[in-house]
Amino acid sequence: MCLSPWLPKPVCLSANSALHSPFPFQLGGLQGFRVKLAPVDYLILAIYFGFVLGIGWRLKRSVSSSGDFLTSGRSVPVWITSLAFLAANLGAQEVIGMSASGAKYGIMTAHFYWIGAVPAMLFVGIFMMPFYYGSRARSVPEFLKLRFDEKTRGLNAITFAVMTVFSSGVSMYALGLLLQLVLGWSFTASVLLSAAIVLVYTLLGGLTSAIYNEVLQFFLIVLGFTPLAILAVTKAGGWSGMQARLPEVMTHSWHNLSSASQNPMGVDAFGLVAGLGFTLSFGYWCTNFLVVQRAMAADSMSAARRTPLIAAFPKMAMPFIVILPGIAALVLAKMNVGYVLPMKGNTYDYDQVFTTLMAQFYPSGMLGVGLTALMASFMSGMAGNVTAFNTVWTYDIYQSYIKKNAPDEHYLKVGRMTTIVGTGLSIATAYVAQHYNNIMDILQLVFGFVNAPLLATFLLGMFWRRTTGHGAFTGLATGTSVAALTLSLTVAEGKGGWITSLHEFPSTMAQNFYIALLAFVSCFVVTVVVSLFTKPRPPEELRGLVYSLTKFPEETGVSWYRKPAPVAVLVIAMLLALNFWFR
Amino acid sequence: MLDLRTPTGWFFSILGVILLGLGVFAPGHASLTTLNVNLYSGLPILAFGCVMLFLSRSRS
Repeated sequence: MCLSPWLPKPVCLSANSALHSPFPFQLGGLQGFRVKLAPVDYLILAIYFGFVLGIGWRLKRSVSSSGDFLTSGRSVPVWITSLAFLAANLGAQEVIGMSASGAKYGIMTAHFYWIGAVPAMLFVGIFMMPFYYGSRARSVPEFLKLRFDEKTRGLNAITFAVMTVFSSGVSMYALGLLLQLVLGWSFTASVLLSAAIVLVYTLLGGLTSAIYNEVLQFFLIVLGFTPLAILAVTKAGGWSGMQARLPEVMTHSWHNLSSASQNPMGVDAFGLVAGLGFTLSFGYWCTNFLVVQRAMAADSMSAARRTPLIAAFPKMAMPFIVILPGIAALVLAKMNVGYVLPMKGNTYDYDQVFTTLMAQFYPSGMLGVGLTALMASFMSGMAGNVTAFNTVWTYDIYQSYIKKNAPDEHYLKVGRMTTIVGTGLSIATAYVAQHYNNIMDILQLVFGFVNAPLLATFLLGMFWRRTTGHGAFTGLATGTSVAALTLSLTVAEGKGGWITSLHEFPSTMAQNFYIALLAFVSCFVVTVVVSLFTKPRPPEELRGLVYSLTKFPEETGVSWYRKPAPVAVLVIAMLLALNFWFR
Repeated sequence: MLDLRTPTGWFFSILGVILLGLGVFAPGHASLTTLNVNLYSGLPILAFGCVMLFLSRSRS
């Protein structure tokens, strides 16, 4: 996360998630695993902390207005915004969760990238960024105000602000617990130290500092984790060796999707494509300010449009770094080469697969790099949440409802104060999560649906000029209520069904996909109906905000790789090739 | 504004040198591999750091 709350998440968040292995063979288990770090590992961690704080310090002088602090003054080069676009989403939960999911579900997990992210990234770059960037809105809620009205902005701003603080806290809790389990570090010390470092560099250099550090963190994640993927997969006999040793369902992403009972994920092709590939994924990547903010910080419209497109290339490759080691771990456990799957009680603890592999493939030195990369992934995710939160709070809540027309220095001060308060609230959430695990689990599930109805609002708002503010607001409220209601009336893996159980899904993932679909459809229908009965805004007020009333920027006289459309075609070709290869 | 390639270059160069130093002077291996992981990982990390530094210098 932020995290995308619907992504596979570490089991430490929920006792129910540690399911029994779906595999027909028996594997050994490792209990009470601990990693010991050498002084050189701590030295590497200290050097990393020094650099991220140093970057914040150097960028301090470039912050002189609230715009510099909260929106980077729209001055960041495209290669930086692209990698930050990706890194802000690449939290520690994703690395751990995806690796765990790889061990549990196999290569099907790659759908979260190839179907559940890349197509939406292309769509936001090609079709939506011209509206976001061209409207000069400073945030996604502010765009909603320009396109619809104040109440729609208010609803989105408040929901988003609560969601970011919550996500950041849950992510912090997951990291604190992981470091406690794996390294024996104090939960409080881990949480406070990492939060303090993110706070200091964000406070010093604002969004620019967060974005710059996200890029450094991205490189560290790639360079720190790639050797592990190569070592684990090679030891497991390469892809062909892994295919030979695993059940067919673990090494094919499309073969077993004709019915939910044929695969360990418990989803069918329709649920996957419509639920994950469309509503959840487009809802997240196209409307979540956390990621959109990175593209909006770019130095030109062309750069803003290319930001998600360029980010799509490394996004496509991420499964090789985070998912393949998880699958390789299963093979290694079967090969009796000295690796055993970690256990928690009498169930497999897939969340510790990544760290146990790291501890057994990396000697001191690279072990420090790997753990630093894990910390970096947490920090990039947390900084993403904090910077999105302070912008939305300062501009969309404070400036809109609490104190209008104050001098800019005042909003700069409020932005800085909000950064401190937001971090404090995240820390508090992490502690609440520690004590009230089930409530956090439910909240995370509910927040997973916030973006699904929002997608319907945006699609209608941008592509149908008749959509009205009343329609958008009513649709959003209905979509979110329908999501919560569906969750209360259906059950999956013992979750949901708080009112009664009208239907049981084969897995929580299938439940998530279908709830998102229902939320999207209900929001779409209600928005259309209410819009037809309410008065639309005149066309002259909608120029630059609606597709049919906006002239898209033409890229002439530049190389093909600087034009969004050819880059998108290249991404699609690579995406098709990957899906075909791992079909 | 700060050229991000400069701190990135320095960070990974320092990291690469530490790993290469460990790989050459204190070669050890983890339980699941006999490879000198620090040496082989340190080389590309150092190379990446140097490329970043070179790019930042050539631009300035």
